Amino acid sequence: MLELKNINAGYDFLQVLWDVSFRVDEGELVALIGPNGAGKSTTLRTIAGLIKLKSGEILFNEKVINDKPTHLISQMGISYVSEKLNLFTGMSVRENLILGAYAIRDKEVQLETLAYIFELFPRLEERKDQLAGTMSGGERKMLAIARGMMSKPQLMLVDEPSLGLQPNLTQDVFSALIQLRERGVTVLLVEQNVNATLSFSDRAYVLEQGKIVMEGPSKEIKANKHVRNAYLGI
Amino acid sequence: MAKNSSARPLMSRIKDNLPIVVISIFSLILFVAIYIEGGNAQIFNTIITGGMWALLAVGLALVFGVMNIPHFAHGESFMIGAYVAYFTFTPMQEYLYTNPNKFLSAIAPLGAILTAGVAGAILGIIIEQLIFAPLRRRTKKDWIMNAFLLTVGISFVLSNGANLVLGPNFRGISRYWDVKAVEIGGAYMSVDRLIAFAISMVTIGALWFFLRRTRVGRAIRAVSQDETGAQLVGINLNFIQTLTFSLATAMASISGASLLFLFQAYPTVGGTPLYYAWYVVMMAGLGNVVGAIIGGFIVALLQTATQLFVAVSWTTVLPTVVMILVLLIAPSGIFGSEVKGVQEQ
Ligand SMILES: Nc1ncnc2c1ncn2[C@@H]1O[C@H](COP(=O)(O)OP(=O)(O)O)[C@@H](O)[C@H]1O
Ligand SMILES: [Mg+2]
Repeated sequence: MLELKNINAGYDFLQVLWDVSFRVDEGELVALIGPNGAGKSTTLRTIAGLIKLKSGEILFNEKVINDKPTHLISQMGISYVSEKLNLFTGMSVRENLILGAYAIRDKEVQLETLAYIFELFPRLEERKDQLAGTMSGGERKMLAIARGMMSKPQLMLVDEPSLGLQPNLTQDVFSALIQLRERGVTVLLVEQNVNATLSFSDRAYVLEQGKIVMEGPSKEIKANKHVRNAYLGI
Repeated sequence: MAKNSSARPLMSRIKDNLPIVVISIFSLILFVAIYIEGGNAQIFNTIITGGMWALLAVGLALVFGVMNIPHFAHGESFMIGAYVAYFTFTPMQEYLYTNPNKFLSAIAPLGAILTAGVAGAILGIIIEQLIFAPLRRRTKKDWIMNAFLLTVGISFVLSNGANLVLGPNFRGISRYWDVKAVEIGGAYMSVDRLIAFAISMVTIGALWFFLRRTRVGRAIRAVSQDETGAQLVGINLNFIQTLTFSLATAMASISGASLLFLFQAYPTVGGTPLYYAWYVVMMAGLGNVVGAIIGGFIVALLQTATQLFVAVSWTTVLPTVVMILVLLIAPSGIFGSEVKGVQEQ
């Protein structure tokens, strides 16, 4: 479904990603792990079209997308939940969600999706008239993920959803992601919480200093000696 | 005990909104003073002037909020609107002079004003696509400064262009509607003034509805709050920015057209309106559309009060002093700014 081929990318004169290649197949939940500053967020931003490539190719459903602007990539079915969340803080929860479905013109489909989202995140329904900017950190994360789901994406890129959350909220966020996969949405997840992530993801890639250094089924990655030392502290 | 707990929040709320409270009280005092000294006539005058400034300031606030452009060519959009209305209206007027027709006489001015609005919208699209869109694609670095310099350049080119093509002559009309003034509460208001006010209110109301209730209007607000977030939900930034600039230019043109009886068309006619509109948005809060509407009326109050109680020649001095005072106590304006993108870029 998603394929990165020899991506080189970065910011102005700073190259961050070096020859990064990986793939995510339909229905998978793939984890991208690595230390701080490795380039995980940069990878997701590049897929979403927020950063232009120096070289390489990104394919989505066999189509080249790296020459397309962000809004078209989003409309093609890729939803990116950034680490900054990029919520519309001066708008209500409901308006944020409706904007999530911007590309869906059919009002009925929009409202159906909204009802489904409210079922999945009852807390957001309770707060639907509250301004996004006045919500707590955990609620904002929920809202960002929910907004990302409103466009009925085929693929979701989620950047560190558990960062700064209490353990019980982290659990909620993870179960939302697992539910997503059950509904047939493909997920590429960047996470600091390596242990938990490797236990529910299908496959994983390890990114270090802008290079993919390891890949495989999550179980195998979790058992790997280097990963156990560097990320799991065992 | 109970008395204390109910009084507390009120006091702290007043404290949180100090600039708004101070300005509200100040405006109320001005309002009453103007009423006592000038009666209904001056009050109506103030409200009508306020509507004009609001219409212009809303466009500035929108362009700053959505595109982060400090727009200093907004006065030239006003100027173009005035010219377009003049050159559309006068031939119609001549024709109607020889072929009197009541119905046509009533709607001809509206046709001229509408034409000016359409011309403004088109001009806005051209300027945005020709100047700002290419700059946006090239670099976002120092955007506000570059955009500001470009608008100054546009202003210079447009006013000198008008001078070159049309000369420095004043082109005006004495009135759009050749009917008697209307009496309201003992004060006489010309129909032109009343309709100019109605047009500014209807235009602002339509914009308000568009921004709050429609899909594309919501997208405009989304861009002003988080550009990246807007792109991520599938909003075409380029389209929204061109649309916003076009809307703002059209509003300024409509303003220039509907006030043709007051401001004759000449190359630098946009100076005064630009000054007041900027004054409104700086006082109300950059990029704050609602603030710009209220601010328009506050500035008009200050203007009338200065004319009544100080001297006509002080009309621009006193508002400036008040603006500086406001910015000293509330650096982001009375109503604050909801613009987020500016500091980040
Ligand atoms: N907006 C930016 N401009 C310049 N450099 C950046 C920017 N964002 C990240 N970087 C740099 O790129 C590298 C990778 O960052 P990032 O992709 O955020 O890593 P990760 O998400 O894996 O922690 C870091 O060295 C970081 O300093
Ligand atoms: Mg990161």
